[in-house]
Amino acid sequence: MKIISIINKSIKENFRHLWLLILTISLTPFFVGFYWAISESEKPNYDVLLVNQDVGVQYQSKNYHYGSLIIDEIKNIDKDSLQFPMTIKIAKNRTDAIEKLKDKKADALIVFPEDFSERFQNLLTSNEVEIINLEFIGDLTSIKYMVTAIWAAETFSDLIYMVTDQKNPVNITETSLGISGKIDGFDLYVPGLLILSIIMLLLPASISIINEVENKTIIRLKLSTISALEFLTGISAVQLIIGIISIALALLVAVGLGFEYAGSLFNVFVIAVLSSVSIIAISLILASITKTATEVLIVGNFPLFILMFFTGVAIPIHPKELFSIAGYPVTLQGLMSPTHSVSAMNKIMIMDMGFIDILPEITTILVLTIIYFAIGVWLFWWRHMRV
Amino acid sequence: MKPIIQIVEITKKFDALTAVDNISLEIQKGEIIGLLGPNGAGKTTLINMICGLLDATSGEIIFQQNKNKKKTRAEIGICPQENIYWPKLRCKEQLIFMGEMYDMSLKKAKERSQKLLDLLGLSEKSNIQAKKISGGMKRRLSICLALIHDPEILILDEPEAGLDPQSRILVRNFIKSLTRNKTIILTTHNMDEADRMSDRVAIMNKGKLLMTDTPDNLKRSIGEGDLLEIIVDKDILESRVDLLESLSKKFDDVKIKGFSVIIMSKNIVEKISEISEIIKHNGYIIKKMTLRENTLEDVFMHLTGKELSTDY
Repeated sequence: MKIISIINKSIKENFRHLWLLILTISLTPFFVGFYWAISESEKPNYDVLLVNQDVGVQYQSKNYHYGSLIIDEIKNIDKDSLQFPMTIKIAKNRTDAIEKLKDKKADALIVFPEDFSERFQNLLTSNEVEIINLEFIGDLTSIKYMVTAIWAAETFSDLIYMVTDQKNPVNITETSLGISGKIDGFDLYVPGLLILSIIMLLLPASISIINEVENKTIIRLKLSTISALEFLTGISAVQLIIGIISIALALLVAVGLGFEYAGSLFNVFVIAVLSSVSIIAISLILASITKTATEVLIVGNFPLFILMFFTGVAIPIHPKELFSIAGYPVTLQGLMSPTHSVSAMNKIMIMDMGFIDILPEITTILVLTIIYFAIGVWLFWWRHMRV
Repeated sequence: MKPIIQIVEITKKFDALTAVDNISLEIQKGEIIGLLGPNGAGKTTLINMICGLLDATSGEIIFQQNKNKKKTRAEIGICPQENIYWPKLRCKEQLIFMGEMYDMSLKKAKERSQKLLDLLGLSEKSNIQAKKISGGMKRRLSICLALIHDPEILILDEPEAGLDPQSRILVRNFIKSLTRNKTIILTTHNMDEADRMSDRVAIMNKGKLLMTDTPDNLKRSIGEGDLLEIIVDKDILESRVDLLESLSKKFDDVKIKGFSVIIMSKNIVEKISEISEIIKHNGYIIKKMTLRENTLEDVFMHLTGKELSTDY
């Protein structure tokens, strides 16, 4: 009978915290739906940039540009024959194409060398073994690059073989962006893990704020002359220091375990500071909608898991572009600042990119942080500090 | 003289419950006013509205003719019913912190903290975390926190709750020492606390303000003289009418309740033998006889028909 009484009591308590119950049971279905929305619903597509540096060849008083011919052929294969989900774009020059690659506007860059036609002609007319060199450029850690490179290598080889009847006529040279060609699996995850260490601030930061509400000391503060903004800024400053210490320790451990990073530490610091403030701003929103540390822990699971698993922090993801602003893609995940933090960290630490290159990320994180902070401060004032 | 706080027809409703029902009250500068009433009378709701923690459903509270709540917020210090403090901060640390929250300089906050700790007997505990001090000390710390910014108006919600007798005397003397410098509003369901400490007492019940006056005037309002309470050997209910009639012929104010007879009259000491005779004549044996002065409890009983102490 006592057990039944306990069950009865527990059912009542759970149902009287209805919204907590709904959050708990809907967490996994939400993730399934969310992941489908951002990932599975999107058909894969691979963007390839081609730079044709081929100067052509003169043979029997005629000029031949085999590079252009092959590119046209490739385009036709794309559309009609293989139906490979790939879009081929022609870039003006190598430098321009690399910039586009860095901005993730393409997955791979293939460069046709100046002597492409000359070597191709030799393949056609002489008995000497001739090799055509193609340069593949990209982020060697990117799965999309790998798929594109394998497909492109196969296709070029087959195509040239069909025309020239020579086996293995293509020699591919891979040029990695940044240090992407030198890193291993561990290195690949470190930038995301650094941001993860900041995301882990979410619950402690919320709890440090909500403690004032739970202890009722917020009554003393709201009767004093301090404003919600001053109070929350003060608490956030401490959490910011904790965040920076946390990311510094994480980086130290990673370096100690063999992580080699490119880029400037100052840029890493800038992103760490911005990301910390951003997560603290989210924690203000969390603290605003809760009243106790227990509620923070239950409700906080929701944003914590979303930030961990859907921003590319723990698992690399390929966000679906909704639209773009000034060439910078806006995605569903893009509404969450860690997505941009990870992108910036990857650019700095893996791709060896500079401050100018991460400006879009910095701007986006800043804008999102201001929005989060404004919502958080207003909500907190409304819910806990209004007098 | 213009009142420091003017409460005008204020009402607070929580859904169907009217916690404070159309109360008007003027509080003068430098006075100690006690809000006396049982639990649920609306005392805490009223003070929460005074200090701005709750919005009134209707009516208004005017501070020194100024309706701006923000400006007056710093002029109010509150010691809530529940001790509110930062458990991990040392006593002095939290006083200094709160001082700074009221725009005091660090130096001034330190000086004021030390002074308050000395006055409330907490100087020895100034460097101990608040969670480690006793309940009575926490109550005193809570009073210090209310006073750190030297407010003009001090609101004390059940200030003696949870205090040991020694602390109670200390707190009572301290509050008394603040009169004339500060206006003090204290809520209590303890009639003795209200009687001893208040210049005026406002009696509240079920959200309504029943009467406001000095403790002496309130006691006088229900009749002058002393009060004699006689406990008899059996329940008087059966012969209530006969006994009541016999006593009422001699005395104006007679109440019978269970085993006790309560008579209020001037010079009642001289009439004790006569009263004893009447009670014996009606078949009762006197077990105990108590002579005392009128109390605020009697006033409350007179106004509401029930004892203040049975309500909580």
